[in-house]
Amino acid sequence: MRGFWLICVLLLQGCTTSVVVVGTVPTPLVARIPARIGVYYSDEYKHFRHQEAIRDSGTWNIDLGAQNLSFARNLLGSMFQSVEEVHEPPLTTEEMTDLDGIIIPHIKKYGFLTPSISGLKFYSASIEYRIVMFDKTGKKIGDWNIVGYGKSEGGLFGSDEAVNEATVLAIRDGGARLAIELIDQPAIQAWLKRLASQDQAGSVANSIEEEV
Amino acid sequence: MLGFRSILILSLVGSLAGCVSSRIEQQRVAATGITGDEAVVLLGRASYNDKQTEESFTDCLANALTKGKNPIRLISQSQFMDDLYPWFEPRTAPTSANELGELFSQPGVRERISEYNVRYLAWIEGDTITIDSGGSMSCTISTFGGGCFGMSYWEEDASYEASIWDLQSMTSTGQISADATGTSYLAGLVIPIPILARPGNAACKGLASQLKDFIIGDS
Repeated sequence: MRGFWLICVLLLQGCTTSVVVVGTVPTPLVARIPARIGVYYSDEYKHFRHQEAIRDSGTWNIDLGAQNLSFARNLLGSMFQSVEEVHEPPLTTEEMTDLDGIIIPHIKKYGFLTPSISGLKFYSASIEYRIVMFDKTGKKIGDWNIVGYGKSEGGLFGSDEAVNEATVLAIRDGGARLAIELIDQPAIQAWLKRLASQDQAGSVANSIEEEV
Repeated sequence: MLGFRSILILSLVGSLAGCVSSRIEQQRVAATGITGDEAVVLLGRASYNDKQTEESFTDCLANALTKGKNPIRLISQSQFMDDLYPWFEPRTAPTSANELGELFSQPGVRERISEYNVRYLAWIEGDTITIDSGGSMSCTISTFGGGCFGMSYWEEDASYEASIWDLQSMTSTGQISADATGTSYLAGLVIPIPILARPGNAACKGLASQLKDFIIGDS
């Protein structure tokens, strides 16, 4: 009887592919945005998992939370003058003292395709991120959707390795777009202008105080 | 003795190779040359349609360029892409040499490329596809033995192009294209005997040899 249950468990396991996404975390070579930022990673973001049942290839359990989080920490840390992880907004005025704004990344959607579905030679993955930014007073600066794509040759790897590779490339692609395009957003440019003028006003006030 | 015979048969089967016809064309627009301490980066073009240069092809090229007479110093694609992230990703990489000026104006990019002493970027584009296939073969197995009978074939076309950019002058120095086609057969005469044409391999060898000569130029 015990043998029967063991066989059942093994058969059920055989239908599930578990992938813990692991890959490189490159440091972006971009000019830092001159702002001190607080970043909030929700638990859902930190531990993001995708589960999907696909006909012919069973159930897929894809855990991309850790790789995605480590990528985002490294990416944002290189994009801004300083980055501090904060709790869920709103933050108090005291907590915002040393911060110019808050950024909140979300994963809206994750999806992948196997060659049997797409009819191509590749495994492909896509991640849709939503990036929301608030200024010091809690007013929304902007809200952007970024989609990252990745694909990997099926022939070179096992299916789980190919999905891993495609997902790592999708995270990387999304990160590349954020690193390059965020600074060019008109809302960000306007916010940076406001920050620069506040800094200027602050330094003028300080010099007046010193003179007095 | 039987073991020796099996090995002999396997060796003979392995040495059977189908015919491949290949053509290499070169278009040079500027003089080239490379010194011993300068390096080249091979980058496979990836786009988000159904085509992508296979990693195995760029690996084959890299292997051929770094060995033999006049080996060339190569920086690996993954290392280069990581160290210059996010500027050489599939959707952010420059698509023409004219965009190099703008890329080099990004903070740290010129310095990072100078650190590696990269002189040339070679963009490799193309793939190997099956253009025709046919025939039939069936295999059976029973308690009295088994075997395969019939014949099948497939024709493959390997088409690749290398675009070489000089990072010193920030211009395109030329293109080399390699096209190879070949038909492979699988004949079932009790045991299946493969007669493989490898057009991808032929295109790699032809392109690598021409690319090496092109880069070395008059140096």
